[in-house]
Amino acid sequence: MLKKLTWPNVAWATLALPTLAAILGISLTACKILPTPSAENGGNASAFNADKMVGDIWAAKMVPYLEQKAGPFPEVHALAKADPAAAGAKYGNPKKQANSPWTFAVRLEGKIVAANTQSRAATMDVDADGDGKADARVQIGPAMRGTALRDSLDFIQFNDFTNQIEFAQFGKAFNIHADKTVLSKLPREALEGRSARVVGAYVLGSGQDLPLVTPAEAEIGPKP
Amino acid sequence: MILTRRMTFAAFAGMLALGAAAPANAADLIAIITPSHDNPFFKAEAVGAEAKAKELGYETLVLVHDDDASKQSELIDTAIGRGAKAIILDNAGADASVAAVQKAKDAGVPSFLIDREINATGVAVAQIVSNNYQGAQLGAQEFVKLMGEKGNYVELVGKESDTNAGIRSKGYHDVIDDYPDLKMVAQQSANWSQTEAYSKMESILQANPDIKGVISGNDTMAMGAHAALAAAGRKDVIVVGFDGSNDVRDSIASGGIKATVLQPAYAQAQMAVEQANDFIKNKKSPAEEKQLMDCVLINGDNAAKLETFALTN
Repeated sequence: MLKKLTWPNVAWATLALPTLAAILGISLTACKILPTPSAENGGNASAFNADKMVGDIWAAKMVPYLEQKAGPFPEVHALAKADPAAAGAKYGNPKKQANSPWTFAVRLEGKIVAANTQSRAATMDVDADGDGKADARVQIGPAMRGTALRDSLDFIQFNDFTNQIEFAQFGKAFNIHADKTVLSKLPREALEGRSARVVGAYVLGSGQDLPLVTPAEAEIGPKP
Repeated sequence: MILTRRMTFAAFAGMLALGAAAPANAADLIAIITPSHDNPFFKAEAVGAEAKAKELGYETLVLVHDDDASKQSELIDTAIGRGAKAIILDNAGADASVAAVQKAKDAGVPSFLIDREINATGVAVAQIVSNNYQGAQLGAQEFVKLMGEKGNYVELVGKESDTNAGIRSKGYHDVIDDYPDLKMVAQQSANWSQTEAYSKMESILQANPDIKGVISGNDTMAMGAHAALAAAGRKDVIVVGFDGSNDVRDSIASGGIKATVLQPAYAQAQMAVEQANDFIKNKKSPAEEKQLMDCVLINGDNAAKLETFALTN
């Protein structure tokens, strides 16, 4: 809100030209990566297809972005606790909404010390620093919480979407895609003691719970 | 996150100081138009906006449209006629309000929307809305956990004309429908009303005595449903609401309703007035027209910190 240069008196004229604004929006933020849904289908909201949009950017844009941005979990989380803004600048999405917590891209490797596969929102707890205690909880689906994958990407903006519903459907489509292409293929039995390797994102929380990592890539090693 | 908040507060404080240094002309008026104050949520919006506007040296005109689009249109005319420098508006319908906001704009009066979106951009200067979908997902996740991922449940939906009624319902189902053992046995609108929720809940309970939970689109309906369940001796039924009202806070504290989701109504209204002030004095628009504010889950762990739609530390 403070970034913007002083509006000249043509502010109203600019606002009166939503089409121009839309074109500008596309060329600046979305065109190369993700067509604005309403522009792509001539404003017909029912043609919005979040699954297809995510499928189109998953391997081409998102995974490379996370791979490049992610830091090792112990490092990211230590910095996040000490200095969230510094961690945000390095591993987070600086274009996040003003009052949202930071979402960090992260690489998590370690030993699975606990797992909950009874819930449909299944998780595994991973010890990343070798002290035998869980450092992070990884969602392994099929039900998954939140929109961490969407929110970790600096090339995705709420203003590129028609409304909250499409923005949210787009967020959920990442979880569905992760479940379908990665997580549903993971083993579910006797996970404790096996090694795990994950690239994904997590939201810096304020509660007592373990950091909840949503994976875009995940591997589980053989039984020890 | 804490640091970011501090920075935000610092920015607000800075703007505040600026406001104090250059007080508004005594005649400058900001109109604050919301739905009826019978719902404490809308009252908190109006009180928050009015307090900030007075702090910045404005006169205020506080009006209610009762979710009636034609009344809203008349109130916009009143604001224009009184020479308001800006309108803070919680609108009466995503489609129906576009023309009214456009009319104000054509008359040179900028609008700053709170709480609800309209289905057009470039008409209002700002649309600061709660991320209702994110909030609904939080509420639904807590509901699923409380239900143990299975059982029959009821959904009470808000007023159909209100965009947020649909958004919240979609957000709930976005989460709940991932659990095939959770079965919705009834879904009805109680129009955000406590008394309507009470009577609807009574008849739903008669037809479906085997329900285990009720997820409600707002807190007033959750209060009505919980009262009906209590009257029928069914305090075992899990009720989850949305808004973060003091009534539900008190109910959570006494073991009644289990959870709700806080929309930062007070802070949101104040933020809109700050952006209006910046526009009036410096001709500055916010960087983005549509701004999402995250909601926060309220349950037994943090209910005590809730006061008038804001969390204290």
